[in-house]
Parts: sequence; structure tokens; C-alpha cells
Amino acid sequence: MSAAALVLAGCSAGGTSSSTAAKGGDLVIARPADAVSMNNTTTFDNPSIFTFEQIMEPLFTVSDDGQKVKPWLATGYTVSDDKLTYTIKLRPGVKFSSGAPLTADDVKFSIDADTATADTGWGYINAAIDTVSVVDKETVAIKLKYAWAPLIADLSLFSNAIVPANYGGKTADEFYQAPVGTGPFTWGEWKKGQSLKLVKNPNYWQKGKPSLDSVTWNVVPDANTRKLQLQGGQIDIDDTPDWSSFASLKSSPGIVAHAFPSTQLDYVAFNQQRAPFDDVHIRRAIAYSIDRQALVKAVLFGNGTAANSLLSPGTPFYDKNAKGPTYDPAKAKSELAQSSKPSGFTTSLLIRSGDANQASVAQILQSELKKLGITMEIKQLDPTANKQARLKSDFDMTLSAWTMDIPDPDEWTTFAVDPDGGAKSAFTFYNNPEVIALNKQAQQEIDATKRQDLYDKLQELTGQDAFLAYTYYSPYAYATTDKIKGFTVTPLGNYHVEDITKSK
Amino acid sequence: MFQRLRFVPARLLQAVPVIFGVTLLVFFMAHLLPGDPAVAILGEHATAARVTELRKQLGLDQPIWTQYFLFLGRLLQGDLGTSLTYQQPVSGLVLGAIPVTLSLLFFAVVLCLVISIPLAGIAATAPGKGRDLGVRIYTLLGQGMPQFWVGIMLILLFAVNLRIFPVGGFGDTPLDHIYYLALPALTMAIAMSPTIIRSLRSSTINVLGSEYVATARSKGAGGMPLFRGHVLRNAAIPTVSILGVNLGYLVGGSLVIEKVFALPGLGSLMINAIFTRDFPTIQAVALFVALFVVIVGILTDVVYTLLDPRVDLSSKVAA
Repeated sequence: MSAAALVLAGCSAGGTSSSTAAKGGDLVIARPADAVSMNNTTTFDNPSIFTFEQIMEPLFTVSDDGQKVKPWLATGYTVSDDKLTYTIKLRPGVKFSSGAPLTADDVKFSIDADTATADTGWGYINAAIDTVSVVDKETVAIKLKYAWAPLIADLSLFSNAIVPANYGGKTADEFYQAPVGTGPFTWGEWKKGQSLKLVKNPNYWQKGKPSLDSVTWNVVPDANTRKLQLQGGQIDIDDTPDWSSFASLKSSPGIVAHAFPSTQLDYVAFNQQRAPFDDVHIRRAIAYSIDRQALVKAVLFGNGTAANSLLSPGTPFYDKNAKGPTYDPAKAKSELAQSSKPSGFTTSLLIRSGDANQASVAQILQSELKKLGITMEIKQLDPTANKQARLKSDFDMTLSAWTMDIPDPDEWTTFAVDPDGGAKSAFTFYNNPEVIALNKQAQQEIDATKRQDLYDKLQELTGQDAFLAYTYYSPYAYATTDKIKGFTVTPLGNYHVEDITKSK
Repeated sequence: MFQRLRFVPARLLQAVPVIFGVTLLVFFMAHLLPGDPAVAILGEHATAARVTELRKQLGLDQPIWTQYFLFLGRLLQGDLGTSLTYQQPVSGLVLGAIPVTLSLLFFAVVLCLVISIPLAGIAATAPGKGRDLGVRIYTLLGQGMPQFWVGIMLILLFAVNLRIFPVGGFGDTPLDHIYYLALPALTMAIAMSPTIIRSLRSSTINVLGSEYVATARSKGAGGMPLFRGHVLRNAAIPTVSILGVNLGYLVGGSLVIEKVFALPGLGSLMINAIFTRDFPTIQAVALFVALFVVIVGILTDVVYTLLDPRVDLSSKVAA
């Protein structure tokens, strides 16, 4: 009897010490735009993605520093000697929120469903996959068409997240109205244009998580309103405060401002189908005349760094010693002198209307190019018209940016340097056979050291070609109340709500 | 009295070609914009091939007249179509947004009248004197200050500093809604009131100088009973017209307020639909706004007719 009492006392003592940690609470996040769809295979906007990532989980996920992939619903994998077959073991004991166990059938179904969207969705990311087969209840084998280094990173993409086989008997449309997954949260309620709420999954496989009872994303388009809501205690997290108010938020009592390292690269793109941008000296001249530090100061209010490479620091195989063009007015002049238009020319820069950051960059660029004798007119189009123009390569120069979706450079490098990569080299028509070959080699090179060498060379060559003029790397801005702990954003931009705690 | 309202059914019928014309205009204007929902949906990672394929899936590759007649056909069956952005029925989106905008407008009009009628009365009963000057300075400020600035100032004062009202949002229960709409409605009321006050003030001054008011005064009426019984009703007539016209604009003008206060109303729905080129939603919102403007116009004439027995809008002019 006394022994049992001692054991019980021991148990409750353990219980009290863990209950001092914050538990429960409803998290409220305010963000500028609403989600659009919960279909993880066909949806491209971040609000939707960051939401359904809390419901449906992939086999692997990106590490917090963005450099590696770590096991998630899978525990590990082995690769065959010919590098074409990956055998993946699933984590035992994982259940969907419906109570059904996670099996290899669900994994095969989910990956195949993603591949099927190749024409209009994310399926193209699985282009290297030949077949997915069920080995046993907890093992899946993926056979590739060719050696493919980014495979595990591709499997960590949310489009390859695991859903119940056959959508649990529903049609895809029905399923995605209220998706079911293995994630820490389950479907709550969505008032379109207003708020989206998810509730805690009590059967989540990570014991003791999530701490929160629910998470709600509110749609608050105006950055000032979000800031005031945070300061007024109406919300817990402000998604994307303006850089102009970042410093004042940092020094506000009860508020914590975060600038999380990202994989975002901002750049100026040159359309090589339009003279004189087919001339490398012109592109270099412009790239050397950009004062990146001034841009960081004026646009990001100091929250960022000058960009030196095609890849960003948060991306694997980034070369911090890559010698991309820096601010060097003397070199700019000498490049221009060697070019086809030594006395300057007139051109235009296409930007998005309503985007204050792009407007600032454009104006600074305009005055810098004037010193070279280049007259640059600024053209503004609304976001969709702007995208349409870029899709058709209907621009001279344009501002754009890229953020990675997977912890592997290939998604971006293929888009950017390979005219057959689907986007005509980020719509610039850049075509350097040596660079294209390097990129293809790197895709198939499994050895990490050799891959690093290949990407180093690629970063060096693309810097010399200056097909894009890199401007800056900017972090992700968030502000939270000091009651929120455990909130961190990976360089890919996503976050794990199951790690967040909210104290009273 | 209802004799004089005979014009209403005819006006409702006249509204049909107007609304039809609006849908035609909006449809073609929206489709003239460069870009389409496929481009908007696919985002930064769009490739030309994927856009073409998605366009086919969404039915956007058909000739434009075909698309219009398909839209019209569905509309006549009461089907507003499917949102290309959300892949959800448009009726759900619109019916969710309408109560937000209508309650905001209703609340704003009520507050506007609560502000304007007393201020106009105070000014009109002492024209040229101190309090009249004070009211006119208020109207100048009210017209000069941009709405989003007034909104943010009110938020700073009442929501952040005094914590009486919340900062933006719409709330969940009907009682919540009134609470959340207080500041946005007040912002709109302040923006609307200068025109109403000026109009009411000058027509009140006119009425106060009229013969029938002099008669009433000579019979001993004065102060509030005089104001309510004889003056307000007559002075209100031109103001009702102005209020009606303003209400028509307000449905679109509420967009700025909706953005500042994060209200999920028709304005927000429309502007997002335009940015993402969600044609069915753009058309549906335009349809409802046109309907609303027409109905407000008819209601204004009804109120006008009821207020002023001399008015008979149904009388036919002798040929």
C-alpha cells in the first residue's frame, strides 16, 4: 500500500512540474491575406500553405536552419546501389486525426495524387519518380527514372504531404473542404475573407503537443491595423509588419519583433530578348551600379544583407564567398565603356503597383542608372497584370523575388538558368550551355561534396554573366506578444504551431 | 397615401435593363484587364505551360461571348457561378459579405443622422453666431480629413489607448457585430456628416423663415415641438435625396474602411476579386451593388413621397 502511494506521489510530483509550463490557449495570428484553398497539391499561395501544413504532414521536413531534411512521418531511408530505388520506413504508431493508422497505402496514394497534378499543380516536383510501391504496412519504395539528388527534399514539400488513401472515401473536392491529416491540428471553421480556425488534434503522434487548443488566422489587410491589434492585445502574432515600424515594435513593451533568416532573394531581371540586355557588359554595368547597402537601409530599414549570389544563405550549397557584382561605380563605368552602348540608353523597369518596397527600389535604381547615362522609366502594373507581363517576358527590366519551397537549390536553379526549366530562365531567356550542363549534373550528383563544388561553380558563372542583378536577402518579419514562446519560422517560411506555447 | 406609391412597380421593372447593362459592362471590363485567374492562382512559380493548362481547366480559353452567355444563362437560373479563386460557390461568398456591408452602412447612416440632425439644428437656429461657426468648422474638418486617417486615429484613441473598442475585425455574435462596427461606422458617419449637415442646415434656415413656421410660432409653438412637428420634416426633404445619392456611392466607398478595420464586406470581396481576376465574383458583387443602388434610389423616392404630400411621382405629365 505504502509502496503504491509512493509511486503515485512520484507520478503526481512529475505532473506538477510539467504543469508549470504554459498549456492551452487559443492562438490568434493576423495576416494580410486569406487562404485560398486547402488542396496541398494545387495551391501556391503562402497563407493557404502555412495553414494546411498544420493539418497534413510530409514524410520528411526541413530542419530549423533550412540546411537539412529531417525525418518526420518517415524515420529514415536507404538508397539502392544504382541510386534509383529509395526504401523509406514509416514511423510506427502514427494515426490520422480520424483515428485510422498511417500506412504505406496512404503514402503511395498521396504521392501519386501529387504527381497527377503535374500540368497545373506541384506534381512537376515528382517528375523524377517512376513508381511508388508498397513494400509492407510500414515501408514504401520509390523507384526513380534517373538519379535525383533532391528526392528527399522533394518529399518534404507540402504537396507530398500524406492524406488518407482514396481521401477516406470522399472526392478530392469534398475532402479538401475539411481535410484530414496526421498533423497537430484538425479542421475547425473557415469564414472566407475573415478568419480560419483549426483545433487541436488530441491524437497527435508527438506526445504532449500541441500545447495550444486552437489556432486562428485573421485576415487584416492593413499593416497599421495589425500593429495596433498586436499592441492592443487583440492578436498574438502579427504576420509581416512593415519594416518601417519594425524598430518601434521592437522597442514596444510586451512585444517581441522577429526577423527570421529566409531563403528570399530579391533581384533585377534583364530580358535578354530585348537589346541591349543580351550584352553581358550592359548587365554587369547595371549590376555594379547598384548600392545594395543603400537599398537595405532605405527599403528594409537595415533588416537585411546585400545579395552576392544566385542562392540565398538559407539554401543548402550557398557559397558565401561567391563573387557576385558589388557596388563599384568605377567597374560599372568601365563595363559600360566596353559595351554596345557606351554613352547610355533609355529603358524601363516593370514593378508591381501598390508595392512600397518595389517602388523604393525602383526610384533608387533610377537615380543610380542616371549617373551612368541610362534613363530608366518606371512602369507600374497591378500584381496580376504584372505577373502576366513577366510570363510573356513583356518587360525590359523587372523586379522580382524568389523564396524556396524545399531545402534544395534545384527548384530555383532549374527555374532560373534552364530555358527548358518551364520558365525560360525566369523569363529572361538566359542561355549559357555551360551553366545549364552544370545544373543538370548537380541534379544527379548524390555526393554532397561534389554537389557543393558544382553549385559553387554555378554561382560563380551566373554571377559573372549577371543575368540577374541580385539586390538583397531580406528576412521574414513577425511580431508577437511576449506571452508567445516557441514560435520560429524556417528559412522556407513555414512554422510549426505545435511548438508554440501561450502563457496567460 | 399608397396611391402616390404607384410608381414603385414600374421603377422596379425599369431597373431590370439597368442591371442587365451593368453586368454586361462589368463582364467585359473585367475581361479586358491583362492577366486572368490562372496567372493569379499560380503565383510566382507560374510557367506559361501551366497557365495555359489551368486556363483550360477553368474554362477561360473559350471565346469571350460564349463565356458571357454561359454566365447569363446560369444567372437566369439563379446560379451565380463558382469562384475561380476559391473553387467555391460565389453565392456563399457574396451572401457572407452582404450582411457585413449592409450592417456597416446602416449603422453609419444612423450615427450620421445622430450627429448631423442636432448639429444642423444648433447651427440653423443661430446662423452666423458662434455655435453656427463651430458647426461649420466641424464640417470643414470632416470633409478634409481622409477616412483612413480618421479611422486609424479613432483606433489609436478608443481601441489602443482607452481599450473601449476592439481594433478591427467583425466579431462572431450579432451583439459582437455592433461592438466591432462602432468605430468603422463612426468613421464613415464623420465622413458623411458634413454634406448632410450643410444641406440640412440651409434647408432648415429656409424652413425657419417660411410663412407656415411663422404661423405656428404665432400660435405659440416653439423649441423642440416646433422643430419636430413642423421644421424637421420639411427641412429633411432635400437632405433625403442627398443621403440617398451618397448611400449609393458608399457601398463602393466602404472599401477603405473595410481595409483599415479588417471587415469582410463587399468592398474587400470585390477588390480581392479584381486583383485575382476572379470574374464570377466580380460580376456577382457588381450585380448586387447595382441592385442595391437601384433599390436605394427607389426607397429614397418613397421616403421623399411620404415626407412631402405635394410630391406625386406617379402622376403622368399630360401629353
